[in-house]
Amino acid sequence: MSPAAIAEASPAPAIDRRRARRKAAWRRRGLVLLLMSPWLAGFSIFFGYPLVMSGYLSLTHYDLLSSPKWRGFANYHYLFHDDPQFWPSVRNSLWFIGIAIPLQVMFAFGIALMLARAKRGLGFFRTVFYLPALAPPVAATLGFVYLLNPANGPVNVILGHIGIHGPLWFQSPGWSKPSLTLLQIWGVGNTMIIFLAAILDVPQHLYESAELDGAGPLRRLRWVTLPTISPVLLFAVVLGVIQGLQYFTQAYVAANIAAGQASQAGDTLNNLGYPQDSTLFYPVLLYQAAFVNNFMGYACALAIVLLVVAFAVTSIILWNSRRWVHYTGATR
Amino acid sequence: MRRIAVPLLAAVVLGAAVAGAARLSSARADTHAAKKTKLTVWVGWSARELKEFKGVVAEYQAKHPELQIKVVGSINDTKITNAIRSGNAPDVVSSFTSSMVGVFCGTGAWIDLMPFLKKDHVSLSQFPKTSLYYTQFKGKRCALPLLADSYGLYYNKTLFRKAGIKSPPKTFSELTADAKKLTQRSGGKIKVIGYNPFWGFYSGNFTDMTNYAPLFGAQYYNNKGKAVLASRFAWSKVLRWQKSLIDWYGYSNVVRFQSGLGDEFSASNAFEIGKIAMMMDGEWRVAFIKAEHPDLNYGTAPMPVDDAHKNLYGAGSVNGTIIGIPKGGHNVDQAWALVKYLTTNDHALAKFSNGIRNVPSTRSSGKSPELKPDKRFATFVRIFNNPHSATAPITAAGAAPGTLIGRFTVRWQAGKVKNLHQGLKTLDKQVDKVNAQAGGGVP
Amino acid sequence: MSTASVPFGAASVVRRRPPAAVRRQRFLVAVANHSLLIAAAITFLAPFAFILLTALMTNNQALSSHLWPHPFRWQNFADVFHQAPILRWTFNTMTYSVLATLGLIVSSVPVAYALSRLRWRGRNVAFMIVLIALMLPPQVTVVPLYVMWTKLGQAIGFHFVGSLWPLIIPNWLGDAFSIFLLRQFFLTIPEEYLDAARVDGCGELRILTTVVLRMAKPAIAAVALFSFLYTFNDFFLPLLYTGENPARWPLQVGLAQFRSLHQVQWNLTMAATLLVMAPVIALFFLAQRAFIEGVTLTGVKG
Repeated sequence: MSPAAIAEASPAPAIDRRRARRKAAWRRRGLVLLLMSPWLAGFSIFFGYPLVMSGYLSLTHYDLLSSPKWRGFANYHYLFHDDPQFWPSVRNSLWFIGIAIPLQVMFAFGIALMLARAKRGLGFFRTVFYLPALAPPVAATLGFVYLLNPANGPVNVILGHIGIHGPLWFQSPGWSKPSLTLLQIWGVGNTMIIFLAAILDVPQHLYESAELDGAGPLRRLRWVTLPTISPVLLFAVVLGVIQGLQYFTQAYVAANIAAGQASQAGDTLNNLGYPQDSTLFYPVLLYQAAFVNNFMGYACALAIVLLVVAFAVTSIILWNSRRWVHYTGATR
Repeated sequence: MRRIAVPLLAAVVLGAAVAGAARLSSARADTHAAKKTKLTVWVGWSARELKEFKGVVAEYQAKHPELQIKVVGSINDTKITNAIRSGNAPDVVSSFTSSMVGVFCGTGAWIDLMPFLKKDHVSLSQFPKTSLYYTQFKGKRCALPLLADSYGLYYNKTLFRKAGIKSPPKTFSELTADAKKLTQRSGGKIKVIGYNPFWGFYSGNFTDMTNYAPLFGAQYYNNKGKAVLASRFAWSKVLRWQKSLIDWYGYSNVVRFQSGLGDEFSASNAFEIGKIAMMMDGEWRVAFIKAEHPDLNYGTAPMPVDDAHKNLYGAGSVNGTIIGIPKGGHNVDQAWALVKYLTTNDHALAKFSNGIRNVPSTRSSGKSPELKPDKRFATFVRIFNNPHSATAPITAAGAAPGTLIGRFTVRWQAGKVKNLHQGLKTLDKQVDKVNAQAGGGVP
Repeated sequence: MSTASVPFGAASVVRRRPPAAVRRQRFLVAVANHSLLIAAAITFLAPFAFILLTALMTNNQALSSHLWPHPFRWQNFADVFHQAPILRWTFNTMTYSVLATLGLIVSSVPVAYALSRLRWRGRNVAFMIVLIALMLPPQVTVVPLYVMWTKLGQAIGFHFVGSLWPLIIPNWLGDAFSIFLLRQFFLTIPEEYLDAARVDGCGELRILTTVVLRMAKPAIAAVALFSFLYTFNDFFLPLLYTGENPARWPLQVGLAQFRSLHQVQWNLTMAATLLVMAPVIALFFLAQRAFIEGVTLTGVKG
């Protein structure tokens, strides 16, 4: 079982052997501890400790300038009952997870299917569809805010040429989230590559036997392709939900740039969520509470709620996945 | 005995050596300090205005060879707060607006200047009353005014002549009529806008109606510190007027028009290139136009006022740059000396005012013969000194109430608020809650 | 999606029909598929094209509705360097990237090894905790960590906030994603190789540093690549910790502030945007296979 123990223990008599085995067991434990030590330290300092602190600070008013003042559950009460931006931010995040992420996954899947079927230029097309995923989020967002400028952005100019009165995109609360969704779809590259690899990995004989049973194209997609690649689909969905829960950069940059406030003035940064809180996702609200309004205690209450929700959501997905994910190839 | 003695001796010798070394190094540090004391100053100005500020500081530097002053520009309130929180603050710090004064003074993030003022016999009465208000919180004086700002009306004379308008409007109904006359459209698209009342457009210090308050005589809080935006008729007047003008243009037409304009603080500023006929802006614009578009034919006047309160004419929204000393600094005395010079020295204030055309913030510097006369700029000095001019209240919650009010007003202008009175009532509650949340309330 | 699935259907019908019809249908399907692909490809490339075109315009053109620059103003790219300390930002990004990546590899490899190739009680629990740490949003711990770095800085008189260290140091103590990825890869190393080394009398540490490391080179390359991409693109944490200290801004924070910093215009902003995209895209073309394989690795083993 443990090779180190075997190597040392074999030649000795019974008592010695037991002692040696115990010694070896301790050495093994020491080895495991040694190997695990970076993570143990990292986890306790950068995860365990802050989690506990979050819980404590969420019960106080704290601005980091003066010492924390005990508030009991006042922060939580304010959060659920009084903060006019809490529920809008929850709705925004849900919108993103419920609409933008599934759209992104569907696009990735569609493109991967087309690519898997491409006779020529697979390498070229794969590169083209992957490239946008490489654009750093800040840069990509800047580019999109310009492309989608309602007055003279290329998209509306082109739409204008074909007689369509383009929408206000990032300038209107109705279109700002769809604009961010477009940005998200543009960056499908990673998911697409994973899907493509999985689709190309589906054993050909499965299709052939399905074909013999007289299954049409859609039915084969439903009964062969989808079940076989379901672990990868699950991965994409989980990853999407995780991303959705921490969606910050694009929303922050888009709001700031679209609001167009030259912050030469002492900007109070109240353009977060521009326009009209439509891009105020939950993490943006948390940022605003902690680092703009100086309510560190309140921000911790927001963090605790996020923790509970994130934990619940990922558990539910992983739990339910047993029902619809087929693990064909054993990986371990 | 010897067994203890040896290590003890060793410890003593070692201790002495360490102490000696420490003294040596501190002595070296002292002689070094005697040569130059480094002072870092953070200000919000950038580009041309920053150059002017550095010019003022350079004169002080020349008189004080023992100092080495470093000026850092483009600073905003978030940066200031975070730096102080992390103990990373500069020696002297300044902010463009007073919206965070409640936090800075209330929490002790900026140190109390009273002991210094008393020690040096600096009289507070040399500062205007309004400026004194927005540089303190609940009696804690943690800041001093460094030049001041007032808002007035800029109008494009060329466009006025084309539209046949003789003089700038004095009431809001005149403003509305003129704005409609001055607006030019082609095929539904706005080409030139008469007056843009959109919250959040340009003059971005406040994305809400703060700047309109003195023009309608509107108040935020009653004397118990409770928000009264719903029960004061003035606010709904401001909002209804604003919305009716926006609707006349068409909300989405305005948004589309705005998104095609250049940056406020660039040479592509829409007023400077004739795409806006009338605009409310601060006095600094005079200097910007002079630097960027000296040929622009424009005039300045006080903002028009509510038709029912014509006596208010001449007033405007005022505020100003504030300067103070963050806690945790090492060279507090030198920092204070610099702050005192910048905020009270007539020559320094006059020179800086000439450079960036902000309103001088002491009584004597306002009369300084050094001030270059400028008719357009003088309008703003008068607005600043008008007894009806007012500034936004200082609260412990800092920027948070402003965020809430701004949030409401942009929903209103987009037509998302169905019942104005009910909406304002809810807003009052939210403002009170956020003030309570900050543990303060309004003095 | 339904159009995209046609190809598989077409293949199915193939054998039972006369060859001419089959060929025609196959051809039509291929044409449809490729034209869809080409249309999609053009759409995906268009943003890059328009960003480039805008980057070559004059300021006034960028504010107009013209799509084609006239004249081409290549000088914009040089102007960007004058307007903003791009080199300084690049240096900061590289500092963050290199120090974080090195630390993360050194600290994550042993953990991944212990989690994959050694058997001990609590291993599965430990791995579950790694997974949970991986899934929870960083915003959950961000405020207390910020407080921690602030207090620590005040205690020892070093300004952590305002520096890149709070971003770098956590990587020296294991990174959940890298541990996960390396573990998945270590699991695929056949036990026989390790046993052979054990028979030769190697201790586990020797095995890790020789056999495993040698075999895991592609996985380590992938981890390094992801770490580079992550640090290069990271915005949230640098914004928090370096926001008030422009001297330490990495590229992304600088770029986000670029437009407001010197009141610069869209043409220069787009030029700067391209400059920030360039290194990653260049790296991609240099190491295309490593990219695709790395990404595939994250998914298939998930």
